[in-house]
Amino acid sequence: MRITAVQIAPDITLKLCPFSTKLSVLNYLDRSPAGTDDDCRVNNRYNMKNINNDMKDNKAKGRKVIGCFPLYPPLELFHSLGLVPVTLWGLKDSIPTTGKSDRHLQPYTCSVARHLTEFLLSENGAALDGLFMYNACDTLRNLPEIINCGLADTGRSLPIFKIHIPMVPREQTESRAYLRARIKMLIDELEEAYQVTFSIEKFRQSVSLYREMRKLCKALETLVANGRMSYNEFSRIIRDGWFIPAEDQLLVLQKILQDRPLSKREHVPSAVQSRIVVSGILPPPLHMIQAFENAGLTFVGNDIASQNRALFYTPAMVDDPADYYVDFYNHHYPCTTLLYTADRRMAAIRELILSTRAQGVVFIGEKFCEFEYFEIPHLEKTLKDMGVPTLFLEVSIDDNEYSEAYVTRIETFAELIGSANQGGRYAE
Amino acid sequence: MPNEDKLKAGHKKTEAGKRLSKLMINDYTRLHQKAKEGAFVVWIAIVVPAELFSGFENVVYGVPESHAAMSAGKGVGPLQCEKAEAMGYSMDLCSYARIDLGTAFDGGKDSPTFGLPKPHLLISDNNNCSLLVKWFDIYHRAWDVPHFILDIPFCYEQQTARDLNYISSQYRDLIRTIETLSGQKFNIDRVREALEHTKGALTNWKRFLKTAVSRPAGLTVFDSFVQMAPFLTSRGTKALAEHYRLLADETEENVAKGIFPVPNEKYRLLWDNIAPWHQLNKMSSRLASLNANLIAASYTYCMGSLEGEFDLYPYDGGDPLTYLARIQNFSICPHGLELRYQAMQRAIETLGIDGVIFASNRSCKVYSLMQMDMLKRVTERLGIPSVMIDVDHADIRKYSEESVFTRIEALLEVIDAKRGAQTPRKNSNPI
Ligand code: SF4
Ligand code: SF4
Repeated sequence: MRITAVQIAPDITLKLCPFSTKLSVLNYLDRSPAGTDDDCRVNNRYNMKNINNDMKDNKAKGRKVIGCFPLYPPLELFHSLGLVPVTLWGLKDSIPTTGKSDRHLQPYTCSVARHLTEFLLSENGAALDGLFMYNACDTLRNLPEIINCGLADTGRSLPIFKIHIPMVPREQTESRAYLRARIKMLIDELEEAYQVTFSIEKFRQSVSLYREMRKLCKALETLVANGRMSYNEFSRIIRDGWFIPAEDQLLVLQKILQDRPLSKREHVPSAVQSRIVVSGILPPPLHMIQAFENAGLTFVGNDIASQNRALFYTPAMVDDPADYYVDFYNHHYPCTTLLYTADRRMAAIRELILSTRAQGVVFIGEKFCEFEYFEIPHLEKTLKDMGVPTLFLEVSIDDNEYSEAYVTRIETFAELIGSANQGGRYAE
Repeated sequence: MPNEDKLKAGHKKTEAGKRLSKLMINDYTRLHQKAKEGAFVVWIAIVVPAELFSGFENVVYGVPESHAAMSAGKGVGPLQCEKAEAMGYSMDLCSYARIDLGTAFDGGKDSPTFGLPKPHLLISDNNNCSLLVKWFDIYHRAWDVPHFILDIPFCYEQQTARDLNYISSQYRDLIRTIETLSGQKFNIDRVREALEHTKGALTNWKRFLKTAVSRPAGLTVFDSFVQMAPFLTSRGTKALAEHYRLLADETEENVAKGIFPVPNEKYRLLWDNIAPWHQLNKMSSRLASLNANLIAASYTYCMGSLEGEFDLYPYDGGDPLTYLARIQNFSICPHGLELRYQAMQRAIETLGIDGVIFASNRSCKVYSLMQMDMLKRVTERLGIPSVMIDVDHADIRKYSEESVFTRIEALLEVIDAKRGAQTPRKNSNPI
């Protein structure tokens, strides 16, 4: 397979430019699609090596790699400046232990932060040229300096770019000017640190690229809802996408979508398949997804922060990146980590249930995540009033193995919603 | 077993203690009374600048965190927590929040103050912690009460002019919101007056804390823990300024007369985290029996100081909103590690601290998640022995006295060893 130029959207043609890590794309394609769940598991085991290779590959090509957290960084901006942003999220499958991070974070820190820290303090982090973070939960806002301390212990250091995203609803406080100023400052800092120059033209191209990439991710999500892709595979593709250049991710997505003609069904839902929405910060672990799918449940709706919440919205192009990000954050899909979106969250979930005709909602609780845990009782109660069954499963750092207890709960839940057969008939 | 005489030395009800009880009773009685008579009631996060409410004729405020601390101190913390847990709120959530949810949704039952009167407006603030916004959102949804969020950028370094302007513009939004909702007019001169009282109160607060410089120290940190309560419920009042003046006078007088809470003080310790409200008496007594005195806490020395500072930052008579915005980050939680370390170093040096107890508090991640590196820094850079213990500030079910004291006693041994060593070690090992 030779890729020299690819028309990925009416307004974008990808050439083999310095951005495209051709070899890594091919490797990625070789190892990714259409595997059995066992294959997925094998791939997962080796993923970190691949992610690392991808990052090192970028570095070897002279590109600067910026590790970003949490989930909604200004990716297009970094990309337009010639940097490779990687979103440091969902690393749990790839990093088996947290020995280094345990020297800096107490055990009541969520697994997301512990794995993120472990990643940065291990040799994986050496492939990064900088870090970017914005304010989200109380755990994350403490992390930059903790990471600095950990890096200092290993004789390393990284520039950390931090911005404050206003967490207030616009009806209450006019925060646009503040955010605009912060975005402009960030551009200045990046220009200075990496000796690059912002160009609105390049920014436009990056926005188009990311818009297309998000669109294809959504198409992939439809494959899952239609039973043509396992949710495991979807989760892995989306997660791995955080670590490769957007151009490469586009190629990967295109290839996968080409390989899945409508007639080809690899994971055909049976007639008794029930439809569920999944909600949480991260998708459930692989073995848990298998338990859901074995129990005859299909993931038709997605309220996962690292998936649909992150991929949902790309603003229309404007002439100023600061205005673009004001729009981006203001109209972001509601997320527990964006405090000002709280009032829109229940409506968004309700809409998701109605539009997908889901019969139940599964909450995947990330242990110690206060943002999610303060909201779940209200959501469960409201859904109960709507007649929508819910299941809450807590996932902690040690939950890597198959557990009979949650399999039984999942099967009982599947029976419950299967017998209720309530699709599309909820109180509005 | 601790010696009984020494136990008594650990905690005595002073005049200031008696006045404090009166002040707190008055605060809560007045709050309920005024609410009943139709005052506009707001619930606030502890770091919302309460002086702003003095600018209105008839606005009163309740402080759920302070109420939760009091509930924990009075022993009803677990009971209220369990009510919240029964509603589906995880045991891993902050115990203040669980106590408050348990109290509020049970109509104030079992509360030492009959709870708080229902609010007309909720005002949270994400610089102390952002989970508090989520916590107040629960009431916002359940009672359909408006929720105003003060959005305060976290301080990794000293506050910038840009952030200061952003904060003060939000105060103006808040004032407009209260004017609209309450129908009352705001008067900035009354805030100026309140700030003068605050200045008086904080000047005397710092004077009170400085009595820890003497050897033995003039106070224990447990005194400062309980005495900080009215700063949260009476901020900007003459009564508070007067109370702290008398408190400082009385404590200085005791020092002059040679009356000390831990007369045989051998170890001068510093506490890092929120007070262990359910353990005040027990812990102070048991420490006193070991001739150990906790003489300072980051939790209380931050009051009245800028981020990263130890000394008072007083109101200068200028624009009230600018001053309040500048001091907005006074409490520890909105500071990054560098700033916390800077202030702690000042405290350690000023007060002659022998050892630091880092209370790792699973309820308060924002305070606790950087303590492992702080501990390392304090031991390595300053040569001060330190220990980490597990505490939940308001949920006694997550506390083990024996394992805590095993570690504290080990700390005291390290201090002894350090003193005994010919050449003082620069790098004492953390425990
Ligand atoms: S999972 Fe929750 S607690 Fe953990 S980093 Fe994300 S928002 Fe913060
Ligand atoms: S998490 Fe900490 S700062 Fe936040 S309300 Fe609880 S005790 Fe206070």
